[in-house]
Amino acid sequence: MLSSEKRSLFRFLSIYLSSTFILFLLATFIFYDYQKHQIIDIQNAELSIEAEHITQSLRQLNETFTKTLTYPQKEPFKSAIYDLDKGYIFGSFNPKNILWSEEYYQEEKRLFHIHPLFPYYLGASYIVISKEINPEPIDHLLKMSILFLFIAGIFFTLLGLFLGRLFIAPMKESIEQMNRFIEDTTHEFNTPISTILTNIELIDTMYDCEGKEELKRIEIASKTLSRLYEDLTYLKLNHNYHREIESLNISKLLEDRVEYFNTLIKSKELKVTQQIEGNIILEMDKNDAIRLIDNILSNSIKYNKKEGAIEIGLNSKTLRVKNSSIGIKKEDINLIQNRFKRANSSEGGFGIGLDIIGQVVERYGFKFSIDSTYNESTEVNIRWIK
Amino acid sequence: MDKIVIKSFFITAILSTTMTAEPSSSLQNNCLSCHIEQKIPSELIHRRYLLKYSTNRDIKERLFKYLTNPKKETSIMPKQFFLKFPEKASLELNDTELSESIDIYLDYFDVKKKLVLP
Repeated sequence: MLSSEKRSLFRFLSIYLSSTFILFLLATFIFYDYQKHQIIDIQNAELSIEAEHITQSLRQLNETFTKTLTYPQKEPFKSAIYDLDKGYIFGSFNPKNILWSEEYYQEEKRLFHIHPLFPYYLGASYIVISKEINPEPIDHLLKMSILFLFIAGIFFTLLGLFLGRLFIAPMKESIEQMNRFIEDTTHEFNTPISTILTNIELIDTMYDCEGKEELKRIEIASKTLSRLYEDLTYLKLNHNYHREIESLNISKLLEDRVEYFNTLIKSKELKVTQQIEGNIILEMDKNDAIRLIDNILSNSIKYNKKEGAIEIGLNSKTLRVKNSSIGIKKEDINLIQNRFKRANSSEGGFGIGLDIIGQVVERYGFKFSIDSTYNESTEVNIRWIK
Repeated sequence: MDKIVIKSFFITAILSTTMTAEPSSSLQNNCLSCHIEQKIPSELIHRRYLLKYSTNRDIKERLFKYLTNPKKETSIMPKQFFLKFPEKASLELNDTELSESIDIYLDYFDVKKKLVLP
C-alpha cells in the first residue's frame, strides 16, 4: 500500500471511528444514565414499601398503651420519625441536613425517602427512611456498557477498514495505472535521450562544425529531459528503492553537479559564486544526494533572470543556494513543497523538483527552509546539523 | 358502643399502672385524680391530640383553648365518648397554672420517652 493510500485510509478511519465512537459514547452514556435511574427508582420503591410498613406499625403503636413502645426497625433500612415542625421524635438514625423539599434523594452512597404521614400516628408527620445503595446492579450495568462499547468499537473498526479499502480501491487503481504509464513512458525515454547526449558529445569533440550554439541548445534540452527522466524514475522507485548509505563527499559531488549544469548556466548567462568548503562528508545514498542537489540547482537556474546570479554555499552545517529569482509570494511558500506546484506558471517543469527535495530532506531528517523576496531573490537552505 | 366502653376500661386500667410512674403533684391534683376516679383514659386523649396536631406546641394551644372553655363540640373526643364519660367542667386554674399543667401533662405522656429500639 502506498503512503498516500495509507494516509487516506488513516484519515478516513480517524474521522469515521472518532465520530462513531463519540456517537456511541453519547448513546451509551444516555442509556447507562437512564438505566441507572431505573435501578435507583427500583431501590427507591423499596424505601417506599418499607415506609408503608412502618406506617402500619406506627398506627398499631398509636393504639398501644404499654410502658414501652418498640419502634419498627428492619435491616438494611434506617428510619426516623419527625413531627409537623420537622422536629426529631425517634428513630434508628438521626441524619443531618435532610432535604425536606425532595421526596427521594441521594447522599453519598445512601438513598433517602421522605414519606409524609396523616393522621400523625404518635405525632409523626414524616418518616425519613434510608438505605445504602446496592451497587451490584449499577456495577453490572457499567460493565455491560463498557463491554458494549468495546464490541461496538471492534465491529466498527473492522467495518471502517473494509469500507476504507472499498473507497480507496478506485484511487489505488488510478495511481497504479498512472505509475504504469510513467514507468512505460520513462523507459521509452531513456534510450533516445542517452543516444542524443552521447552523439552531441561525440559531435562536439570530433567535429569542428558550424551551429555550435544550436548544438548547445539541443544538449540543454536533452539534459533537461534526462533529469526529468531521473526524477520520474526516482519518484516511481522511491518506495522500493534499495539505498546504499555511504560516506559521501558532498563538496566533490556539488562541484560535479555545478559542472553538469554549466551549459544551462552559460545559456542563461548567469554569474555563479561558489563558497564550497572542501571534504564535507555526509552519510547518505548517492542517488538521493544527486537528486537533492540537482533539483535545488535546476530550480535556481530555471527560475532565474537572464544574466542573473547564483550563490552556492556549502559548509559543515548547511547547503545554501541563493538566486536572483522572480521570487515567491509569502502565501505560496507554505504550499511550495506540494507536488506539481510551480512558482511561475509561464515556466516549464512539473513541480516535482521541490517534492523530491522534500522527500530527501524528510528521509534524512534535514531541515529545509525557503526565504524569498518577491521579484528579488530566493534562498534555499538545507541544514543537516541541529 | 360496647366496644368503646370495654376499650376504655382496659385503657384506664393500663393507665392506672403506668401512672404509678411518678406524676407530678400538680398534674395528679389538677388532672389525673379526676381522670382516674372517673376512669377517663388520659393517654388515649393525648394520642388523639397527637394524631391530629402532631406537635406539642399545637396540642398545647388546642388543649389550652379547650380547657378554658370545655365543650363537647370543641373536644378532641368523639360524641360517643360523652355517652360514657361526663362532659368536662371548667378548671379553676389561672392561665399560668393551666399552661404549666398542660406542659407537665405533655411531658408525662411524651411518646419519645416510651419509644425504644428492638
